[in-house]
Amino acid sequence: MRTVGFSTGALAFGDFRRALNMLRPYDTRAVELSALRQPELGPLTAASNDLDLSQFSYVAVHAPSNVDIDAERQVVRYLLELAAKGWPIVVHPDAIRDYALWRAFGDLLCVENMDKRKPIGRTVEELTSVFEKLPDASLCLDLGHARQVDATMTEAYLIAKVYESKIRQVHVSEVNTCSKHDRLSFSSIRAFQLVSELIPESVPLIIESVIEGWEIPDELRRVEEALPTAIGVI
Amino acid sequence: MSPTRTPIQALEAKLNARWKNITGARELSAQIRSTLRQDIAGLDSDDSSVVISGSLARDEFTSGSDIDWTLLIDGQADPNIIDILPHIQEAVSRAAAKPPGREGTFGTMAFSHDLIHQIGGEDDTNRNTTRRILLLLESSAVGRPDAYERVIKSVLRRYINEDDGFRRGSGKYHVPRFLQNDFARYWRTMAVDFAYKRRSRFGRGAAIRNFKLRMSRKLIYVSGLLTCFSCELQINANPRLFPCPAPGGSPECVACLRDFLRLTPLEILATTLLAFPHLDATALSLFTSYDQFLGMLADQGTRDHLENLLPDPDPSDTTWCEARRITHEFRNSLLELFFDEKSRLYDLTKMYGVF
Repeated sequence: MRTVGFSTGALAFGDFRRALNMLRPYDTRAVELSALRQPELGPLTAASNDLDLSQFSYVAVHAPSNVDIDAERQVVRYLLELAAKGWPIVVHPDAIRDYALWRAFGDLLCVENMDKRKPIGRTVEELTSVFEKLPDASLCLDLGHARQVDATMTEAYLIAKVYESKIRQVHVSEVNTCSKHDRLSFSSIRAFQLVSELIPESVPLIIESVIEGWEIPDELRRVEEALPTAIGVI
Repeated sequence: MSPTRTPIQALEAKLNARWKNITGARELSAQIRSTLRQDIAGLDSDDSSVVISGSLARDEFTSGSDIDWTLLIDGQADPNIIDILPHIQEAVSRAAAKPPGREGTFGTMAFSHDLIHQIGGEDDTNRNTTRRILLLLESSAVGRPDAYERVIKSVLRRYINEDDGFRRGSGKYHVPRFLQNDFARYWRTMAVDFAYKRRSRFGRGAAIRNFKLRMSRKLIYVSGLLTCFSCELQINANPRLFPCPAPGGSPECVACLRDFLRLTPLEILATTLLAFPHLDATALSLFTSYDQFLGMLADQGTRDHLENLLPDPDPSDTTWCEARRITHEFRNSLLELFFDEKSRLYDLTKMYGVF
């Protein structure tokens, strides 16, 4: 049975407390605390000891997607505090400038494959060059990004197959032509089914579809359909 | 110059040959593409690629060549995108004086949905078929390749995923028949269109078109056939990531075919010939005749002469006679290659090339 949950950013942008409250009624056992914008990271770190995360067996943190060059050390310091709790840190490879700083996370650093707008991290080859610099890092396989880069899911398939042992978590959502995260459509469900059997059942699924609270059960159902072994989540 | 040897250079060295016209055309092509890349920088995007086909994409550009280009769009509709076209045309005109062909297939926009969804049927027009097959067999993105790569993979996925026999491995050979049929259809279309153009243009330019049909156009079909046969013959010595999983591995097949098709048609031919040393004499004849073909096109006087020949050239015209001799040598060598038993090409040609 898969562990499934949501990104707080998808439910309530920077308001992680509100997102956690939205998730209380549902038996979701995974959560990704989002600090996608740099100013959100300090408050999240400060609040991290007080958050009620008891319903979750898997907690991850999404690092800022854009880090000011002179703030990189401070960002890494905050994130190391969060990683000390055993929480994986999801990072966009293009946000990294000084790779040496990020190697300190070891396999708790979870490099995410990128959407078509980004110049790196979109394909197996591009990810390989990132993992050469971060050899211990793990992978957050973003299915929406992979589908946007290659709708045939060939690239997603290759990434999943080459880096199967590195996959720590999976991001699930539709990524539309404007690179916005959206609810799963029929087409994205069909596309994700093509690679579902390559994703180990032990890997948690984090839903990044930007939705309202009342849409949570339906989106969980869609994810279950897209990745058919994802059963018993509600 | 790239330090990595191309398959053509490897074959040339192995056969101790010197194909100066092929080399010259390749170098000129690289130079023109580089200039174009700089000139169109910023006109493309992750949703639109400037795609070239024809001699420039085949690495066979000569001073008299035109540049066939298309703005391939795979993204949100944008009414302003048409404004880009004159800027691309301007850059192309600076690189090649000759305008694209008059059929209107190139020098404009093309949309991914038609190329991906309209394979066969009423809506798969001559123009759409041409764009799709040339996208696979002789194209290259100048600048941002994002949209271009997405469309090629989507087209290939259709040919592979909808080919039940190929996916299930139910046939004797691991050859993508749906794809091969479309390559064959396009080759016949080109041959029939030659007759159409001869008639509609009252014979003007028929001689040089005939020369090209028998050489560069035929080469496109040859490379398509060899691409399909490469699955069975395991010609692709460097599959992207995995060994061939035949049958059943559709994503691997799409990735493998995509990478094989990054080679130019001549490189595909050279790659195949390098795999079969007993065909060295055939290889030498094939590439020497093709080198002579490019040499004739690169010579402005010869090219002009061929372009201005009457519909039924004088049998004593030495230029025309030389052109025909080259085409016959190329054809005979191709027959040797495709009907060679030791390489198993004979079996595959009999199975897929006839019915």
